[in-house]
Amino acid sequence: MSSTSLANPERDIALVDLLDRLLGGGVVIAGDITLSVADVDLVHVSLRALVSSVEKALPKHE
Amino acid sequence: MIELLAIGEPDAAAEPPVRAVPSDGVTVLCAEAPEGERTADDLWRREALVERLLETGPLLPVRLGTFVADEDAAAAAVAGRGAELRERLEHVRGAVELSVRIQPAGEPGDLRARATLLAAAEAAHEALAAIARDSVERPGPELLRAAHLVERDAMDRFVGRVRELQHAHPDLAILCTGPWPAYSFAEAR
Repeated sequence: MSSTSLANPERDIALVDLLDRLLGGGVVIAGDITLSVADVDLVHVSLRALVSSVEKALPKHE
Repeated sequence: MIELLAIGEPDAAAEPPVRAVPSDGVTVLCAEAPEGERTADDLWRREALVERLLETGPLLPVRLGTFVADEDAAAAAVAGRGAELRERLEHVRGAVELSVRIQPAGEPGDLRARATLLAAAEAAHEALAAIARDSVERPGPELLRAAHLVERDAMDRFVGRVRELQHAHPDLAILCTGPWPAYSFAEAR
């Protein structure tokens, strides 16, 4: 999903799902795995998502 | 250094900055590795690159931060895995991933209240899984966190079902985002 189509609260909610997928999903391929992510406060983001309602976060698909 | 972004079909094409490296009957889609720490905006830009590739054919996103020295190393990284990866590409063809997280809508109740909510969340999950080609539960702090692989044609039906379930269960907050590339279905389970 595109972040540019999302308002800020929605973007924070979707960031939880993006990080969940980037860090816990995807094909695992032999390589030099390096994780270097700045300015992303995982705990803070999770807490924000917990107080959000469904109406803010329904997908905006084409 | 280059970063692997996704695995595509043998004829997958890429536009700069993404490069397409054929290997073992699949295509490794990669780009110049970023320097230093990445911000949330960097991750969204990376995601946009992957999603643009998704428009041209089935795609298996690669775990974040998989770096190799050069294109030869990118090709070598999937050598011997072509058959397995093509099978996964078939599994996700024509479908996208939708994320569903289900949480209690109100104040945390006692254990019995939570058990009731959990049962309702699981029932909602089953109702959504019935529309999906494949579904997987993921670890998370919510009552239920899941990923559904949904055919593009069934997306409206899926989202409609989410709205119906939300309406029927005001005590639950059902959070649905997507469409995402099939991150949660890229590896065989």
